[in-house]
Amino acid sequence: MNESGDPMTSSSDTAAPESAVISLAPAVHEAATVERATVFATSDLAVYYGDFRAVRDVNLVIRQHEITAFIGPSGCGKSTVLRCFDRMNDLIEGARVEGSLTYHGIDLYGPDVDPVEVRRRIGMVFQKPNPFPKSIYDNLAFGPRLNGIKKKGQLDDIVERSLRRAALWDEVKGRLKASAMSLSGGQQQRLCIARCVAVEPEVILMDEPCSALDPIATARIEELMQEIKADYTIIIVTHNMQQAARVSDRTAFFTTELNPESDRRTGRLVEFDHTTKMFSNPSDERTEMYVTGRFG
Amino acid sequence: MSSATELPDESVGLDEGSDLRRTFHNQLDDLRDRIAKLAAGVTESIPRATQILLTQDLEGAELVVLADDEIDAKSLELDEACYELLALQSPVAGDLRRVVAAMRIIAEIERSADLTVNICKAARRIYGHQLDPRLRGIIQKMGTQAHTLFREATEAYLTDDAARAAALDDMDSYLDDLQREFVQAIFTSHTTEKIELQVAVQLAVVARFYERIGDHAVNIGSRVRFVVTGSVPEFDGAARYAERQAASDLE
Repeated sequence: MNESGDPMTSSSDTAAPESAVISLAPAVHEAATVERATVFATSDLAVYYGDFRAVRDVNLVIRQHEITAFIGPSGCGKSTVLRCFDRMNDLIEGARVEGSLTYHGIDLYGPDVDPVEVRRRIGMVFQKPNPFPKSIYDNLAFGPRLNGIKKKGQLDDIVERSLRRAALWDEVKGRLKASAMSLSGGQQQRLCIARCVAVEPEVILMDEPCSALDPIATARIEELMQEIKADYTIIIVTHNMQQAARVSDRTAFFTTELNPESDRRTGRLVEFDHTTKMFSNPSDERTEMYVTGRFG
Repeated sequence: MSSATELPDESVGLDEGSDLRRTFHNQLDDLRDRIAKLAAGVTESIPRATQILLTQDLEGAELVVLADDEIDAKSLELDEACYELLALQSPVAGDLRRVVAAMRIIAEIERSADLTVNICKAARRIYGHQLDPRLRGIIQKMGTQAHTLFREATEAYLTDDAARAAALDDMDSYLDDLQREFVQAIFTSHTTEKIELQVAVQLAVVARFYERIGDHAVNIGSRVRFVVTGSVPEFDGAARYAERQAASDLE
């Protein structure tokens, strides 16, 4: 997406129906800095499941065409926070959000915002590859068809472009009608990335996208992320600290803290900075301890 | 996902600290101890070299020269241990700084050992020439100060003491002063025909060796500060360079 344009129009080249409910204003970002445009900004974001506060103190700025990694121990709330960005937590009963989360300056949890439209602009890739039990072609054409694209020529173009984008085209171009389930795990995950890309999102959220993959498939996905970040903004949750160090521009470290009153653990954001800083000289002692493995 | 699976109560947090990489961290400690031991050996060879120079002990000189091969071998071994940790353990943050600093410190120690060898070689070259008491006195002082600097640098490294490391700069200034005083004293001795030109040149070079040992000790101190705080000694110079570049770009 361009920095100054309306995110609505610039992300809707192929698919967005004109009837989309929300209309998002131009990106708000600091002038005269070298920092890239802000895509998301959170302020004291906290997520509750019922009366239980799962994560708090989340103050982040996600910048355009950067890869931001979320790291931290189990239960620190990193996946919970990730799911706020495409309002996936809406699907969990009793889940609610406090504080603010803006997308190009628009309150993502505002009353006029349509979560379905949010999820069209903000794609998600999950831990376990989840292709539809359909052909490779139909997996990719699924989203665009939902968005109203019927012409075969146009769909063919989208399928090829998306598969090329996900570095999968050469491996599957001769068998687009084959079942997506016949692909290897790594290919399936790249297919899911291609499917995500097919609807031209602005942001791709990845929730441990490589944890079910072998090192070579993992390396392919990581390379792919570097290739596509010129066009997308990526947020990745990973348990693999080396992966965060390898792929991301910025890293957010979350941890868990025991609440003595409830005797339950709450996640919180500890430190958010450039990845080079986080892995060479983090400011917070807790980050240092976590990345060097000095606590478990 | 439900909160029950997202936030298991048995999840482990910072407050239940336990070292997950104990083996690796023990290896890091062991590496530091071995490097400090090498540094301690070089520290002790500084006063030995001074005595060899002042007493014209040719046998002692030979021993120091021979011992340098062992220091080279140990330096190489320690360097390889660093490479191994980098290759196998992928250290980050403080651990990474520790390994990177170790490699630089090994080089400083190895070079300092060479300098003590050089002092001993100079002792051979001036063999048979008498040194006047004033020169002997300053050599003794330089040897003592270089020894102190190196000992302090080693201690600071062994104990991760950034403040102690920072004090090395001032201690080095005194050594620099001694060097200047010594060179002046050589001129005086030479003009009053107390020493020959050849000896005067050798002694001036010896003064330079002590002064360089002090510099290496200061460099070790800088690396200790880097380990502890992450500060890079070259930062100020780099910032000045960037400023000048920016200024010249505007022209």
